[in-house]
Order: sequence, then C-alpha cells, then structure tokens
Amino acid sequence: MKNIKIGIPRALLYYYYFPFWLKLFSELKLKVVISDKTSRDLLDRGVKKSLSEICVPIKVMIGHVLNLDKKEVDYIFLPRFRTIREDVVLCPKFLGLPDMIRHSLPSLKAEVIADIIEAESDDISQFSNHKKLAEELKIPKKEMETALKKAAEFWQRYRNLLYKGYLVDDFLGVEKIEVLEKLISKFENSSKLPQSQKEELNSSTTEEVVDIALIGYVYDVYDQYINMDITNKLKEMGVRVHTFSMVREDIIEKELAELRKPMFWEFTNKLYGAAEHYFKKQEIDGVIHLTAFGCGPDSMLGQILEIDAKDYDKAFMTLRIDEQTGESHIITRIEAFIDLLRLKKE
Amino acid sequence: MQNLYLGVDIGSVSINIVAVDEDNRLVFKLYTRNSGSPIDLVKEGLKDFKDEVDLANYEISGVGVTGSGRQLIAYVLGADTVKNEITAHARASTYYYPDAGTIFEIGGQDSKLIIVEDGIAVDFAMNTVCAAGTGSFLDHQAERLGIQIEEFGSLALEAERDVRIAGRCTVFAESDMISKQQYGFTKPEIIKGLSEALVRNYMNNLVRNRVLEGKFIFQGGVAANIGIKSAFEEEIEAEVIVPEHHDVMGAIGIAMLAKRDIKRSGEKTNFRGFDLTEEKFETISFECEDCANNCEVIKVIADGRVIAVTGDRCGKWAASLITAQNPAAADMKESSQKQEAEAEEETNLYKVDPEKEKQVMRELEELELEDEKKEEEKAAEEAEIAQKSEAADSDEKDDNVYV
Repeated sequence: MKNIKIGIPRALLYYYYFPFWLKLFSELKLKVVISDKTSRDLLDRGVKKSLSEICVPIKVMIGHVLNLDKKEVDYIFLPRFRTIREDVVLCPKFLGLPDMIRHSLPSLKAEVIADIIEAESDDISQFSNHKKLAEELKIPKKEMETALKKAAEFWQRYRNLLYKGYLVDDFLGVEKIEVLEKLISKFENSSKLPQSQKEELNSSTTEEVVDIALIGYVYDVYDQYINMDITNKLKEMGVRVHTFSMVREDIIEKELAELRKPMFWEFTNKLYGAAEHYFKKQEIDGVIHLTAFGCGPDSMLGQILEIDAKDYDKAFMTLRIDEQTGESHIITRIEAFIDLLRLKKE
Repeated sequence: MQNLYLGVDIGSVSINIVAVDEDNRLVFKLYTRNSGSPIDLVKEGLKDFKDEVDLANYEISGVGVTGSGRQLIAYVLGADTVKNEITAHARASTYYYPDAGTIFEIGGQDSKLIIVEDGIAVDFAMNTVCAAGTGSFLDHQAERLGIQIEEFGSLALEAERDVRIAGRCTVFAESDMISKQQYGFTKPEIIKGLSEALVRNYMNNLVRNRVLEGKFIFQGGVAANIGIKSAFEEEIEAEVIVPEHHDVMGAIGIAMLAKRDIKRSGEKTNFRGFDLTEEKFETISFECEDCANNCEVIKVIADGRVIAVTGDRCGKWAASLITAQNPAAADMKESSQKQEAEAEEETNLYKVDPEKEKQVMRELEELELEDEKKEEEKAAEEAEIAQKSEAADSDEKDDNVYV
C-alpha cells in the first residue's frame, strides 16, 4: 500500500490546485510523482498523440501523462472537472479529459483515477469528489475526510497569499510538501511585499514601472515553456504583473453580476470578472489577454474584453500562444505594448 | 564634425539602412532585398555608406537596430538601441506626420495597424497566425502570374471589371485566382481582386471593430503598390498618404530612437566601427542536449572569436560568453562588456532557477538554524553567489567543447 506511486500531471488545473493535491496525498501518506516541467520533448510527444485540431494545453496534458507513464507510476490522478459552481460547467475538454486520454493513449500502463468533480465552489474537498480515489486505494472514509479537510485548509492559506498579490509562480518551483509548508508560513510572516505590490522593482530597465494585468488561464499563464516565460519577461522589462488569481472571489462575483448573462464556462467567467476589476482600477496601465490558439471559450471572452477595454479607455492586447518555438513574436508584441504604455504615461 | 545616427531594419524580406543627422535629415538611405544572409548584406550596406558619405564630416554617434532579425545584427554592429519594429514605425511616422491618426504598415511577413492620438501610439494590432495578405504573398502571386512585383500595383488600376477573390487564406486565394482566370478575367482584374482581398483581410484581422480616424498613413514595402493603396482608399473612403520614405520608415524610426537613448544616457556609442566590413562573420548553430528543450543555440563568430550566443531558453550559453573569460569577451570594448554583464546579473535575479527548490530548502533550513533574520539573509546570498560561480565554472568547461 505504501509503495504505490501516484502520478499527477503538471498541466491544466495542476496550476490551480497543486497545493491542495500535494497536501492531500502527503496526509494520506502516499508517494506522489509529478511529471517534469513542460519541455520541447514533452510537448512533441504530446502533439504526436493528440488530435491536430485540439488546443495546445490539451496537447501539453497528453505529453505530461506520457511522461508519468514513463516514470512507471501505478496510478494517474486525473479528475474529471464537471462543475465548481451551480449551473456552470468547465470547458468540454475538461469534462471529457479522462476519456480523451484513454482514447489517445490506449497503451497506457498506469491506471487512471478519474473522480467526477462536482462542487458548489472552488473548494473541491468533499468526499463525494474523491470516492473513486478512496475506493481504488482502499482508504477508509474517515481517513480520507480528515486528509481532505487539512488539504482544504492548507489550500485556503495559499490562496490568501495569492490574494495578497503573490504569483502562482512564487510557489511553483516547489514540489516537496515540507518545503511548500515552510514557504507559505515564511510568506505569511514576511514583511516584504510581493512583486505586484512593490514600489520599486530591481529590473534591468531604468524606465518607469508599469502595471499590467495578465489575463489568462492558469495553465497558460504559468506554464513557462508554453508561454515563453512571459511573466519573467514582463518583470525584466519593469512591469508589475497582476493576474486573475489575485482577485478575490467576491469581487469576481460582483463583476459577474453586471453581465447580462454569464458565460457557460467557470474559468472564463472568473477571467471576465478579474479583467473587469482591473479595467476599473486606476493603477493598472494595460491588460493583456493571453490565450491559446483555438480556445473556444476565449473567442467569446476575448471579444467581450476587447469591446469593454475601449469603454474603460484601457490599453488592451491579445497574445496568442501555440506550439511555436521562436520567441521573437512574443517579445516584439510585449515590448511594443510596454513602450506604448510608457509613452502614454509621459 | 556632425553627428550621425544609424538605423538598421532587418526584415524578413528587406534589409534597410539609413543615417539621420541631428535634425533628423536623411543623409543615407538603402533598401535591399534580404536574400538570406543578413550579416553580409549589412556589411555591403556599410560599404555603400562609406562610399557615399564623406566620413571626414560625419561621425557615427549612435546605432539602432529593429526588425525580426534585430538580435543577431545588434551583436554584429554593437547597437545602442534594439527595439521592436512597431515602436520604430510609430516613431518615424509621427515625426513626419504629427497629426497622423492611423498607420497601416504592411511588410514582408507581417502587417501592422497602429492607432495614434496626439502624436502618441495608443493601440496596435499585428497579424496573428497567418501571412495571407503580406508582401511575401504578393511576391508569390506576381511570380505565378508572370509579372514583376514593381508593375503589380499599376496593373491593378487598368482593371475594367470587379472580381471577388477569397482573401482569408492564401491557399483559397490561389485556387480562386486560378478558376477566375479560367473564367476569362484578365490579369489586371485578377490583381485588382487580389488587392481588394488583401485589404479586406487586413480589415477583418487587424482593424476589426476599431474606429479609424485620419490622417491615414500607409508604409512598409507594400506601400509602393498603388493598387493596394487605392484598394485601401476605396475601403475606408478617405485619402491615404504614402510617405516619401515609406520603405525605410522602420529604419528611420529606430535611428531616431537611438539618438534619443544616446542623448538621454550621455554615453558613447557601442558601434563596432566600419572596420567590421573587413571582418569575417560566421554563425554556427547546434542543438543543446542538456535538457529536454533541445534549444537551437546560435553562435556568432567574428574573425574566429565568439561575439554572441543566443537562442537558449535558460540563458546559460548566453551567460557563458560573459562569465567564461573567453577571448571574445576580453576583446570587446570594456564599457559594453561591463554593461552587458550588469544587465545579465540583473536579469538573472528574475530568471527562475532550475534549482529553486533546493535553494528554498537551503534557505529555509538556515532560517530554522539561525533565528536571526539578518544572518540568514547573508548566508543565503553567499550560498547563491557560490552556486552561481559554480554554475559559471561548469559552463566554461561545457563551452570549450564547442568552441
């Protein structure tokens, strides 16, 4: 039992829930293996096994599952996210993800554990969402519930830090739960401000600091390979980066209420709420919508944001990412965007 | 002795070199087709410059490089300012036309739209995934129709009938053209249809729901094409101005930006001088196999010395040039070397260390051991420095394998 290895793919909602999952498995005393960081090799393998039409985050996910299989894990933890809010679902690709994986990778050696996640909020720590996991690994309900509770509390602490202005990036490099725990308590007690709140940045430019809201799904904004390390590129150019995970639920809720009819997809709605919040904020100089080529929900969101940006008179740009390996197109665009913001300020 | 500022625009289809003086007057202008080896073309361009401009009266005080190939040439020339082409184009056109409202720029492989308010660029768009409707596409179609690209525009004006050609995608456009030709439409008519398709495509992809305000400026290589110009005028129902130097506006803009930067910093230019036309440049590329990214690393070698390394995502090859005391670094001008090293150090602060986890662990352990915060920070700094220098050492070894 204790020698079982569970693999978590470092893709999609890993970037949203990883502290929760790490804590959960450590409480259950299970050995967790996380797939390697996205790399060209990993993506290439994913691309070969995916439908050519599908968006790049899914191709990345397939690459990560393959990577885990090579690491000889016994199980792959791949929940089927259906809903985390009443009457709103996630993108259909999330709903069908486990099936897609089974279909694309018929020779997968590891067993896929695919609990259906149906929650009323971002808190997915109910036992019903982890039934299959408990069954498969023969974990008593009581034990499971205790672990889930602890994991939920831990995740809440992490989220509070994000609300304070930390980037998911600040925690991402860490996989050992002990280190993560210490890091979180260190930030909680630290008097230093996170990058997004700092007055002065130590970047290489001498030019004026600008504030940019980078609106995009966690798996686009924080996968450094797929987005060509955009957050660090922005920081180097003297930008305070703000993302949707820094915006509190209640603010997003309030913004959403102003939409005549919310969209069908939960994270798209979250991005919308956060973007509107940033549009209204005086300190934010510009908004960048980072989107994967061919993203269905973003075709709606992008259009709405483009129109709204004009109403709020905020500079707005859409950045599309795909399988390219050349960085110059991203650099050209963000550099020009930042130049434009600086000139506007002068 | 008058000051001159060089502006170099390395595009996918053309390479342009200009020189402007203190009053932004154009002293030298060169537009050449990029036949694939930008370094040689820039060298030739500089030779032309030397022949044409009397260097006894002028001194190069600043160099700016822009365009998609800017990084490489910036190393070769020793540029002071390296900036994207959007900013450069906007700079030049707002100088010539302070009351400009909209700038259309169509180049070899990308097209841009820049919206200007009160002389300042406030919004821009750039074609995203497809090169339909750019210079390369027109080149290709001209070749297929068997006409010179220079005649392309004027031919369109001879058309007698309208014909609709699909503009969304070059593949569709081409099959549309072939079938329309078979229906008996003449070449001028096909070309006119194509010009309209290109403009339609531009409007759909770049302008979208933006409200355009005058003046309308049209620049970039394609602006030479009067067929496209008149198609634009028809579409927006207003006059479109093509500046005299429409083909080198990017180069003019970057020269002006270089001038501004030099004036601001008060430093001397990093320009490597005209002697570089005598130097032999080589680029070597290899696939780094140290991690799964397999980056294509490019080395620029001048007379046997490595002057630049680029293309690596992690930055270790680029850094190895500065830290490892190879002859190239030592040979470079002292000031520029120092500057680069400083910039590198600063950017390293923000680069995510692959060993971040270990580092955090170490830091945190120290935190536990020593309760005093100050001491902990000192130790962490020392550890970091030690680690960095270690990394630099190992890079040096790795580097030697390839040099």
